[in-house]
Amino acid sequence: MSKVVDRSRDLGPFIPHNDDELIICRCEEITKGEIRKAVRDGMYNLTEIKRYLRTGMGLCQGQTCSRFVRSIVAKELGLSPVELDLTSARSPARPIEMQTYSNEVW
Amino acid sequence: MKRYELIVIGAGPAGLSAAIEAASWGMKVIVFDENALPGGQLFKQIHKFFGSKKHHAKIRGFRIGETLLKEAEESGVEVRLKATVMGIFANKEITVMNGDHIEHFKGDNIIVATGASENMITFPGWTMPGVIGAGAAQTLMNLHGIKPGNKVLMVGSGNVGLVVSFQLQQAGCKVVAIIDASPKIGGYGVHAAKVARTGIPFYLSHTIVRTAGEDCVSGAIIAEVDSHWQVIEGTQKELEVDTICLAVGLSPMSQLARLTGCDMFDAVEKGGLVPRCNEYGETSIPGLFCAGDVAGIEEASSAMIQGRISGLAVAKRSGYILANEFLMRFVSFQESLSQLRGGMFGIEKKGCVVTQTDEGLPLSRTLLQKGYIAEAEIELFSGSKKCKAKGVHPVIECTQNIPCNPCQDACRQGCIIVGDQITSLPIVTDTEKCSGCGMCIISCPGQAIFLVDDDYTEDSSAISFPYEFLPLPKAGDMGMALDRSGQEICPAEIVKVRTGKGMDETAIVTMKVPSEFANKSRFCAIYTES
Repeated sequence: MSKVVDRSRDLGPFIPHNDDELIICRCEEITKGEIRKAVRDGMYNLTEIKRYLRTGMGLCQGQTCSRFVRSIVAKELGLSPVELDLTSARSPARPIEMQTYSNEVW
Repeated sequence: MKRYELIVIGAGPAGLSAAIEAASWGMKVIVFDENALPGGQLFKQIHKFFGSKKHHAKIRGFRIGETLLKEAEESGVEVRLKATVMGIFANKEITVMNGDHIEHFKGDNIIVATGASENMITFPGWTMPGVIGAGAAQTLMNLHGIKPGNKVLMVGSGNVGLVVSFQLQQAGCKVVAIIDASPKIGGYGVHAAKVARTGIPFYLSHTIVRTAGEDCVSGAIIAEVDSHWQVIEGTQKELEVDTICLAVGLSPMSQLARLTGCDMFDAVEKGGLVPRCNEYGETSIPGLFCAGDVAGIEEASSAMIQGRISGLAVAKRSGYILANEFLMRFVSFQESLSQLRGGMFGIEKKGCVVTQTDEGLPLSRTLLQKGYIAEAEIELFSGSKKCKAKGVHPVIECTQNIPCNPCQDACRQGCIIVGDQITSLPIVTDTEKCSGCGMCIISCPGQAIFLVDDDYTEDSSAISFPYEFLPLPKAGDMGMALDRSGQEICPAEIVKVRTGKGMDETAIVTMKVPSEFANKSRFCAIYTES
């Protein structure tokens, strides 16, 4: 279970890091700095980060980056990565064209 | 909507085994896989597997895959390829993308066997062309016949990193180095030794800092790390490579399991978020099973047994098998699984520091740090002892407790004993009887057995070793003998090259070296005309 994060907690100012330019989510081209700033903007769990930045919403559906995003967010919040729930798994499990998705055969 | 007694998701080793087992009890089974070819990762595995006879030991992975496919066909399993399962819904209904439409299926039971995906690590340049996963390198080489690159840096010294490094060399690439942030080699010593003797250096406690190159990889900057994994300034060095191969672990592909709502838990030793399963692989949702890497990262041999167990449990659940029949078969599968999980690399030993073998012998430190065993260390192990005064005898450089025993069955003279515990180190006894047939050499999945004849001529010895490179040398060819670290030590003449159908593509090459180099020479760089 996700640890409940106290939203009134002050995380302090955003301090730039040398590797803020590093691409973390390669499908959506989102950098480490953007993720760290998003936490400072109040995105305190992975679902909020995903909706705010689109991390893990590209072609690979977070297969590669979800581990990285989880550990970056956890570090910003002073948590262990396992204390943050992953974003919910949903169908369709793979990218699909809407035309195909609407063509259901029973 | 079509209904099946069992729906299996994933046609890899676990999924196919589960389907075969359930179908063999008379169940109506369908298997879906998103790939164009069945077999999962098995068809990329061109090396021989470890284990005992019942675990298909000494058989190459892709041949195990061929056998599984044949069995699946014979047992009446329906396999649908290029069919991607998009979701699992209430009452075990699934949707499958098949070409331009979505189909619905319903199963009385579902086995999720979706396997794992490769982990990446991030560093400046990691998204550049030339940085690939080790699995991708295998797909290119072993399925499509394409060289992934010319000069390769392997990141990760686990079994995947070691096995793929060897395969890259076989494909004609040059592996410039294997690096690992850990101070110890992660994979089997025998795998490390077989790559070390081809001359690949290991850089342990090293990490990749960044890539060099504008549009694609032209080099890699590596550096030493301290015990807190921080780069030690001043230790950076650039390696000239065009490909960086990442073998840094696997994560279970558990999304489909997750969306069923079954209980999940995060487990480091299992590689990430996995469903909570009982001993049959059944999740908290009755009739929903998980088998293979999706339930925790192991390897293909144990995935096949886990699949069998889940298939068997499904057959029992659906009333195809009586309780006592079930129990007998389950117990035998479980024994087989616990044999594979034994030894110093077994799942129960994960995270433990092992310093000596079950036999009480000290583990070779050079093997863990440099990838090869030092000459002084090897003498402690009974597999390398010489029991006869003259002539040819086996030298087994197998010094870690891993679950494997084909050498014992291979020796028709009974010179090699592993015993009932398949993780025990092989013992060489009674070498008087050794006929020099070489069956032990080709049976060893770790390529750790050599035949040494100290009395080949008055002042020379003959060393026979396994050889899996092309072109094959021929008798009369000259070369340089290499020691365990891949260093050239003396001139060598190839005196014999044995190949044969029963040898499964492993040649036995015999080279003549001056007697004083007999205990050092373990491989050969053959001079080519060019």
